[in-house]
Amino acid sequence: MILPTAYAKLNASMNNALLNQVVEALPDSAAVFDKNLQLLALNKAFVENNKKHLGIELKEGDSLHILCKGYPDLAQQSLHNWKRALTGERFNFVLSFGNPPLQYEVRFSPLLDEQQRVTSVLMIIRNIQQETQARESEGFFRSVLENLPVGLHEFTPDGWHRNMNDAQRQILGDAHPAVNNQPYNVLEDPFNRRTGLTELLEEVRIRKAPVKKEMLLKYAEQHEGTVTRIQPLYYEATGFPVMDRNGDIAYLFLILSEITEKKLAVLSLEKSERLLHTIVENLPVGYIQFDHYGFIRRVNQTQRKFFSQTGIEEQPDGIMMHDPFSRLFELDQLFQQVLQKGKMIRMEKKVDIPIGKMSREFFLDLTMFPVEDPVDKDQIVVALVNDITEKKRQEIENNKTQDFLMQTGEIGKIGGWELDIITNRLRWSAQTYKIHELPPYAAMTFEKAMTFYTPESLKRVEHAMAACMERGKAYDIQVTLNTARNNVIQARAIGKPEYKNGRLIRIYGVIQDVTEQFKIRDQLTRNTELMRLFFDTIDMGYAVMDKDGKVNFINRKAQEIVDHGKVIGRNIFEVFPMLVGSTFHARMQQCMNQQAPVSFSNYRPELDKWYEFLLAPMQDGSISIFTRNITDSKKMQRELRKANDQLSSLNKYLVNQNKQLEDFAHITSHNLRAPIANLKALMQIMNETDEEQEKELYRSMFQEVIKNIDETLNDLIEVVQIRKDLNVEREKLVFSERLQKVKDILFVDMETSGIRLTTDFAEAPDIEYPKIYLDSILQNLLTNAIKYRSHDRTPTLHLRSWTVDSGVMLTAEDNGIGIDLERYGAKLFGFRKTFHKNKDAKGIGLFITKSQIEAMGGSIQAESQLGVGTKFIITFSPE
Amino acid sequence: MKPLHSIFIVDDDPIHQQITEIMLDRLSISNAVTKFSDAQDVLEHIRAQCNNASELPDVILLDLNMPVMDGWEFLEAFSQVRPTLIKQIKVYVLTSSIDEKDKERVSQFTFVEGYLTKPLTNDVILSLGK
Repeated sequence: MILPTAYAKLNASMNNALLNQVVEALPDSAAVFDKNLQLLALNKAFVENNKKHLGIELKEGDSLHILCKGYPDLAQQSLHNWKRALTGERFNFVLSFGNPPLQYEVRFSPLLDEQQRVTSVLMIIRNIQQETQARESEGFFRSVLENLPVGLHEFTPDGWHRNMNDAQRQILGDAHPAVNNQPYNVLEDPFNRRTGLTELLEEVRIRKAPVKKEMLLKYAEQHEGTVTRIQPLYYEATGFPVMDRNGDIAYLFLILSEITEKKLAVLSLEKSERLLHTIVENLPVGYIQFDHYGFIRRVNQTQRKFFSQTGIEEQPDGIMMHDPFSRLFELDQLFQQVLQKGKMIRMEKKVDIPIGKMSREFFLDLTMFPVEDPVDKDQIVVALVNDITEKKRQEIENNKTQDFLMQTGEIGKIGGWELDIITNRLRWSAQTYKIHELPPYAAMTFEKAMTFYTPESLKRVEHAMAACMERGKAYDIQVTLNTARNNVIQARAIGKPEYKNGRLIRIYGVIQDVTEQFKIRDQLTRNTELMRLFFDTIDMGYAVMDKDGKVNFINRKAQEIVDHGKVIGRNIFEVFPMLVGSTFHARMQQCMNQQAPVSFSNYRPELDKWYEFLLAPMQDGSISIFTRNITDSKKMQRELRKANDQLSSLNKYLVNQNKQLEDFAHITSHNLRAPIANLKALMQIMNETDEEQEKELYRSMFQEVIKNIDETLNDLIEVVQIRKDLNVEREKLVFSERLQKVKDILFVDMETSGIRLTTDFAEAPDIEYPKIYLDSILQNLLTNAIKYRSHDRTPTLHLRSWTVDSGVMLTAEDNGIGIDLERYGAKLFGFRKTFHKNKDAKGIGLFITKSQIEAMGGSIQAESQLGVGTKFIITFSPE
Repeated sequence: MKPLHSIFIVDDDPIHQQITEIMLDRLSISNAVTKFSDAQDVLEHIRAQCNNASELPDVILLDLNMPVMDGWEFLEAFSQVRPTLIKQIKVYVLTSSIDEKDKERVSQFTFVEGYLTKPLTNDVILSLGK
């Protein structure tokens, strides 16, 4: 590099061309500018770079201001630096622009004349991109190394400490000389000789290649409460050389990575491995472990014993395909299956193994299953071999015995026996012993067997046996036995002969304990008896009939009801042909079809008796019939209904009474209090005056009020009388006669009004009723029709009587002015209720009529239409 | 100056009408006492004069137990007419009934000023319209 001072010396004598040549020779972009920022010289690189980055092509004589325009962001900074350079200061700075940023170092060197004045400035712009990146990369790598989780230590080739990272400082600890920047030689550290680190690094130095070893380098203290535990810390130490160009070691590196956990895990694995081995070794079943290639990897003690027992040579590490044992038991095939299916296979194998000249039968219970090695994930196959030869032999023996048992059958307490005619040997099955209450397989002879029979049974057995032997007649007889324990049992003895070549060779058969069945049968008989007794005792007819009507059972009561000779075993419809198509028949069909109980009651007019029936279907298709004479209860029912009716009428009467009480309260309140209030008021105003004339007026008003009270009281008394006379006597009254009486009384009114009275008493000409009431009712009806007649037409009244279930009805229909029932309906029959501006209206007639009708348990209603007429409908209750 | 311009007595009992009129006159409580035997007539009068304040009463003394249209019916109908009236009329029920049920029923007509039982006394008369 040419020193700027050299330029300065040259400057005075140098012409522009020379300057240009020098500038051109510079490897970086360079330019010289004067105090006016005019370019005196510039090299090709400068031109190219500006053209490339700013798109400006500069030439000698151009002003630097052009550059400012090209990059306005940097204009301020640039102008400042150029002016600073023109003051004679020598400096450089880093310029970065663009995205991603490009970094340039700009150097300014002032060029001086003889008088040491600044004439111009040399500007050199150097691209420092690569340098910057390299520096950054170095920083990056350094920080990576510094922060590596493993210890990193750099030594000189002869072991002197050079550098280390943070993790290494942690490993070495604060007290270590290298950490405290004291000279430290790793190869001469006595501690390292013990741990083996020195040896490792020496090896690296000799082999000039990386060396890796696991070593215990230090101990950690763990505090748990008052206990301090010392824990060994294991490291994986890797030493490696960094070589120079000549192939010599430039640096020694050591990497320490803590592997305590891994190490401990390996140790415990080894421990568990040992435990597993012990367990497997001592298993009571044979254990053979294969790797996935089929090599035998492990054989336990039991299996080894078995090998020696069978004389098969144990071949650990031998491949299964060639192993005689495996081939013998077809383990190779099983092995393939287990591996393919990845499932356990269990089977029993029978093998004949030649031992010497003999061959011996072996039964093995083989279980083969795949296991995945937890560490290297290899498929392992384990075979468990259980020698079940002995067990098998026992089983076969059992099966043989079983067969005999099966023949005779334990179920049903059936024992088998056979008598070999030739040897006279008697054989009993276990159950036969059991029936005789003897211990199994006690010595038994035919003679002894016969001693168990009672004398009577023995005769029969001997007889049957003789027949069997002589004529080949099989037998099946009922016998009584005295067991060894002196229990009496009932048994069924069956015997059959067997011939071979026409000769009787044996008699065999079974003996069955039927004591239980006997008891049950006894019980059944007793139950039947009980049932009969029960059904005869109950006060209800009971019969069982099959679906055709055949009587299978009938109790005494039913027999009585039927009142006919023998019914049992006969068809009821044949005994009583009149039952065909009767209610009974229909209900019986219904019961059978629906398979549900049916109950009904039936009246037998010839006997004047009521019967209640319950038909219930039974499982066997027959029908249970229960029947009962309910004539009395029917009668009682009627009585009850009557009593009930009376009660309800009494209740109605009480309700009525209540209603009447309310009516009376109302009547007193309005109709009696009103005149009394008037009296009080009159009294007051009379006392307040001295005027005789006035007093006279008041006296007349008094009389008026008192007359009023008197009338009201009389009305009330009349009503009270009616309501009190509940038991007023009824007598037979003829409507037309009573009406005539009323017509006589009302003769004048009728004449005056011109009313036309018509009647129709044909359907119910008479009635049982109190005479005064009926007279009063008729009179009121007639009076009403006259009082409330319409003056537009001839008044009419039509009376009609007829009979209904609830008694006699009477209607009175007029063509009067009518009444708005919607408005006055509720008060129509009220005391002193009037609805017309009719002076005659006192509002007492209908009230009394209603009282009289209701007192006798009847009712009255009205139908009316304004301007058309009114119809009163009376229901006289009977009795 | 008499406190009340006009009082209507509505009662079908002529004796009571007369007694009440006398008592009202004696206390000079009103300029005009009009007697009606039929509530229907009162209702028709009020309907016809609903915009004529001078023809409408200040107070109505209403009996309950009357033929044709009783007090209840009147109250029912009056409650319909009331909002159309140019003048507020005070209605008092004046009855011989001391039945609590009647009292209770009257209280449902909230516009009724009071439930008075016969006979009227001077104190009660003086309190009318207040």
